[in-house]
Amino acid sequence: MTDETRAEPRAFRFRGTWQDYAPIAFTNLLLTIVTLGIYSFWGRARTRRYLWSRTIFIDDRLEWTGTGLELFVGYILAFLFFVLPFGIINLVLQGVLMRGHQGAAALLVGVLYLIALFLIGVARFRALRYRLSRTLWHGIRGGSDRQGVAYGWSWFWRSLVATLTAYLMMPWSMARLWNERWNTMSFGSLHFRSDARWQPVFGRFMLFYLAPVVLFFAILAMIAIGIGAGMMAGIKPGAPPPAGAIVTFALLGIAFYLVFFGVLGVIAAAFFSAFFREAVGATSLGDLEFGFEARTMDWVKLFVGNYALVIFTFGVGYIFVPYRNWAFFIRHLAAYGSVAIDTLTQSQTRAPGQGEGLLDAFDVGAF
Amino acid sequence: MSAPSEGGAATGAAPDDGATVWHYDGVSALRRRARLLVEGDALVLVEDGVAGARVPIADLVPGHADAGAASFGLKGRPGWRIDFAGPVPPALRARLPGAVRYGGWVDRLGLWRAATAFAAVAAVVVVIVLRTPAMVARLVPASVERQLGETMVGDFGRRGCTDAAGRAALATLAHRIDPDAPRLEVDVVKLPMVNAVTLPGGRIVVFDGLIQAARSPDEVAGVVAHEIGHVRHRDVMEGLLRQFGLSVLLGGMEGHVGGYTNTILATAYSHDAEAKADGYAIQLLRDAKVSPLPTATFFDRLGRGGPGKAERMLAYLATHPVSADRARRFRQSALAGGYAPALAPAQWQALRGICRGDTDRIDWRF
Repeated sequence: MTDETRAEPRAFRFRGTWQDYAPIAFTNLLLTIVTLGIYSFWGRARTRRYLWSRTIFIDDRLEWTGTGLELFVGYILAFLFFVLPFGIINLVLQGVLMRGHQGAAALLVGVLYLIALFLIGVARFRALRYRLSRTLWHGIRGGSDRQGVAYGWSWFWRSLVATLTAYLMMPWSMARLWNERWNTMSFGSLHFRSDARWQPVFGRFMLFYLAPVVLFFAILAMIAIGIGAGMMAGIKPGAPPPAGAIVTFALLGIAFYLVFFGVLGVIAAAFFSAFFREAVGATSLGDLEFGFEARTMDWVKLFVGNYALVIFTFGVGYIFVPYRNWAFFIRHLAAYGSVAIDTLTQSQTRAPGQGEGLLDAFDVGAF
Repeated sequence: MSAPSEGGAATGAAPDDGATVWHYDGVSALRRRARLLVEGDALVLVEDGVAGARVPIADLVPGHADAGAASFGLKGRPGWRIDFAGPVPPALRARLPGAVRYGGWVDRLGLWRAATAFAAVAAVVVVIVLRTPAMVARLVPASVERQLGETMVGDFGRRGCTDAAGRAALATLAHRIDPDAPRLEVDVVKLPMVNAVTLPGGRIVVFDGLIQAARSPDEVAGVVAHEIGHVRHRDVMEGLLRQFGLSVLLGGMEGHVGGYTNTILATAYSHDAEAKADGYAIQLLRDAKVSPLPTATFFDRLGRGGPGKAERMLAYLATHPVSADRARRFRQSALAGGYAPALAPAQWQALRGICRGDTDRIDWRF
């Protein structure tokens, strides 16, 4: 990237190459297939060990100390305590529906949804705590004294408020939750501080919020024009339209689809890039201020690149997506200020025993 | 990076056969440069000419092979590290534990041997998971299956169509096809889909749409006989068990890969079950002296898709793939003659009117 051209060296640097990572990615894929997926936990730990070890902060690399076994145990626990009960409730739900008690079923689904919402909040908190506790720099790790229950509640009611206000309070909810999450995290003897605000990103959010409406009416207008043109071309209702017209309409349909989601995607990227700049920029650790420099087009390039990678390799390229995401994250992450090495001492937080099982169970992304 | 400047020391040329390392004690973030010396079974780190505590080599925990540089931790001392700035001197390397790469078993066996061994075990597990449901399903007592059916589907179907004459005709039809089944439960529900299903617990539900689409009682008889085949073969129980086994087995697969694999395997087995149910149905029809030809014609009609009814027909096709082979199989089973209609014309009319007076309104119940 542009690291070397800058006069000042960046605090975070990523030194990996995809050629270096390829043997790891492919052996992970092989072992995951022959173990019916069980190896994926060890594979993920291996990927992280590589990515962390190629990430340099100031003068030394990071180290990932998590193991595949931890992730595996975390998954098994989440399966036993959450996936299995949810599956059984689902079975009961089917029975309730088949008996014709739609009202009771709807109530049950509603309650399940609320419980899941709370658990997703807990899961996100615990995943971040786990990751910090397994990240070593200068022999020091991160962590949190909290278990994530309070955060789970906060996530629960803030998400509900955001939903009930027709998502208008989404930026508020996102910013507050970011602060709440990071304000309970620490690295060594230092505490993270975050005071991200929702106001700076609200404009971009409104763009994202209103764009579908504008797009919808624009497309409606274009369809009307298209139908008008079709009538002129002499398509009679009832009679089979000529093949040329069908092809034209199909192409138009595909074009609309691409434009709709393409434009929406770019606007979503515009919002997320603004949010991440605001959120990471408002986060600090001791005398260290963080920053995130990815602009909208950087995000778009990341996503388009990931999609192209997966599509043109018939899915195999998926194994490189974690690499691309991490490289993107580190290459745009900045830090200013200094770390007082001699006063930074080991974290006294309790290190969690197992990995991100709950997050896996709900299949939610990390960042 | 800022590696130690005296590169010569790191190559192992020093007479003490030591090496220069970076060291963290896991307590503070201070980065120390030290000289590593081997003394018997222990290591000694010398900082600025001052020797630290002896560290037993046996307690060293090797770092990861993918990390790019040799690194060691210490048992019971989280965060304690020695990182070799350059290559590890050969004399020292022989005494230090080897690096971890893939994880315990794979490192011990080697990648290819481990992959082969895992693949063999995986193949056996998949075969067991696919094969045992057929055996286990037959071992599950009928009462347990009925109980499970009650939990899953409740009285769905039992609240079906109630026209007395129609129900009598339906009972006659069921008895005609399968006279040895006193406990066989067949119901009709007023839904427009052209379909029939066997529910967990061995209850057969025929949708009214199928009865209206049929042109003779023999066509309905063929479809019901096919479902009786599913009941006898315990196919629903088997399918449930297999589905459960596969979802547990493939649960660890990332994203949708597991789901797709699951669907493909389950579909392959359901095709097999369909073919077997057809075989059973053909035998039942032969014993009952009901002609299989109308059923074959019915499949032909479904395959072509009736005008305007395509979307209703799709329901049956989705669960019972109709192919030319199926119709041919029924057709080939036909004998020269001696067949009698499954129901008398008056009974057939009664069956067609079984849902008379019923509504297909769905009401909200608690």
